[in-house]
Amino acid sequence: MSTNSFKKVSLVAGAAGVMAQTASTALGQGVDELLAGIKDSSDKVRTEAWQSAGEVGAPAVKPLAKVMTDDDLEVARAAKRALWQIVRYTGRPKANKERRAVETELTELLGKDQPVAVRREVLWMLSEIGARNSIKPIARLMRNEDLREDARMALERIPTKRAVTTLKAGFEAAPEDFKPNIAQSLRKRGEEVAGYPCKKLVPTKQTDVKPL
Amino acid sequence: MKKSNKLNRREFLAAAGAAAVSMPYLIPSSVLAGPGRVGANEKITMAHIGVGGMGGYHLNDMVQRRDQGQVNIAAVCDIDKNRLVNALKVAGPGVEPYHDYRYILQRKDIDAVVIATPDHWHGVQMVHAAESGKHVYVEKPACCTIEEGQAMVTAAKKNNVSVQVGSQGRSQPEAYLAHRYLINGNIGHINQVDCFHYPSPEDNNPVPDSDPPAELDWDMWLGPLRWRPYNKKYCHGVFRWLLESGGGQIRDRGAHVMSCAMWWMGADGTGPVTVEATGTAPKKGLWDSAVLMDVTYTFKNPDWVLTWRQMPNDKLPKAEERTGDEPGGKISRPGYGAIYRGDKGEFIHWGGDGGTWAEKKARQWELPAGGKDVYKSPGHKEDWFKGIKTGAKTIMNIEAAAGVANLCVLGNLSYILGRKLEWNQAKQTIAGDQQAQRMMSRPQRHPYHL
Repeated sequence: MSTNSFKKVSLVAGAAGVMAQTASTALGQGVDELLAGIKDSSDKVRTEAWQSAGEVGAPAVKPLAKVMTDDDLEVARAAKRALWQIVRYTGRPKANKERRAVETELTELLGKDQPVAVRREVLWMLSEIGARNSIKPIARLMRNEDLREDARMALERIPTKRAVTTLKAGFEAAPEDFKPNIAQSLRKRGEEVAGYPCKKLVPTKQTDVKPL
Repeated sequence: MKKSNKLNRREFLAAAGAAAVSMPYLIPSSVLAGPGRVGANEKITMAHIGVGGMGGYHLNDMVQRRDQGQVNIAAVCDIDKNRLVNALKVAGPGVEPYHDYRYILQRKDIDAVVIATPDHWHGVQMVHAAESGKHVYVEKPACCTIEEGQAMVTAAKKNNVSVQVGSQGRSQPEAYLAHRYLINGNIGHINQVDCFHYPSPEDNNPVPDSDPPAELDWDMWLGPLRWRPYNKKYCHGVFRWLLESGGGQIRDRGAHVMSCAMWWMGADGTGPVTVEATGTAPKKGLWDSAVLMDVTYTFKNPDWVLTWRQMPNDKLPKAEERTGDEPGGKISRPGYGAIYRGDKGEFIHWGGDGGTWAEKKARQWELPAGGKDVYKSPGHKEDWFKGIKTGAKTIMNIEAAAGVANLCVLGNLSYILGRKLEWNQAKQTIAGDQQAQRMMSRPQRHPYHL
């Protein structure tokens, strides 16, 4: 599949406001063609497919997430890169509507029904384009032992007051062993945190290698 | 003044005398010389953090200097046990091994550290070392994000430590000749510098994730990076081909070739107003840095253009024929360098790192009476030692190095995002692009943070 064919589909999709039915069909075709390219056995075709994913946008998010756990490592990798391509494309200036649509799709991938590896990747995608609607779903994962560190870092990166407020609430509710991590994010965002001093200069790992 | 020097000279010597009964540690030279600096005739006491790859080169080099009576070596550190054991064999008796570099930073007898870890550690470790009062030699590129570079500059200034970044091309003999040739107007006003480089490699034999080898502390190798399963295509040296940790050729050799360009153009402290990159992605495997790449940096006031191009080998400029008898010898790294385009002619150099070869016309040019000479580095490490002892600014100081690293980082950001970026040098930020602004920094894992 060529880059051009993806773009043609996208152009067709651009007429959606006028001919909703046509656009819906075109978008479906766009996603189908993208997935076919991602799953292709040719390295070249897969690469062209993921590089063209940006313009396919939000409708491709969940279908691509499913392929991210494909048994074929290169297919799974192409799906992941396609999803990132969508995030980078829709994060461009003056594309708020597209960005919000992708954000919504991504937040719906943070549930327990998704594998940890997918949710971790999605957290980092939301760290780049997430806004108001991402905060709560991300905050919930600060209670998940596998994902809380990534969730904490994603919130740290979202430049809104609500993200800071949510980190503060997360800090209050966090178990003792995770409070220093959230304290790190709060300090990064300019907040004062009582107790839980910074441990960055405290060594922890001894070696059993002996001097000569 | 060093923050860590809480004792005055007399108090320290008394304490050190008492401690010497039970501890093998050395008296820091800075105490003998006064706060923050090492006396002109004192040996600098060194530690090496990261002793594989370039770290191994630095350790060998420092061992020679120790054997010549220039320095002491107190400690070596690596999170790969095999590398640590090998480093001890190189360094010999009396050198303490460490797994965690922060033990080294706690030692008051160590004046300076050489950091040669993977790039994603440079910013954090340099800042930590400066905050612990250590002078620092840190490998290039200085940093992986704009934020790291800013933190490094701040930490060096605040703690009054001497920092040399390992873009050693600036200290090469033929770099001096090239600089002098260009600055005296031999090719006229230079309005464009075109850097060239062969492609980044592709991972043509990808492997699945696996358990890390027993000798490697994978968690600490990742350090500030987000956690992910081990894959042998991450390390050691191949971290270079991942955008997150190494950044590809542009951040590896770009930190050399563009370092020469910024130095010779007198552009340290300045930055581009726009950055626009395109590139071709690898077709499979873990590595994701651009294989071929084309980046254009536009500078204003003065106006000039800098380009970075990773091109197929058959498109590279032909290297000059040189005999091995000439000073500098044959050009052994013909695959990268830069062409300087002026309104009266052109000039080309090859390499730009530890090997830097200037075109014949610059090597043969003699400085006329009244001509303008330029700083001639006594050697990259010697220049650093001078900085440690006198406070003189190093040739690849952290402000300059962060500026060069920013070029590499911005080039990759533009490539990743697929769009042109506007850079505001005065405010040190990307204008009008919130996603790109967020990507100027990268949240770091606890507790491995700036």
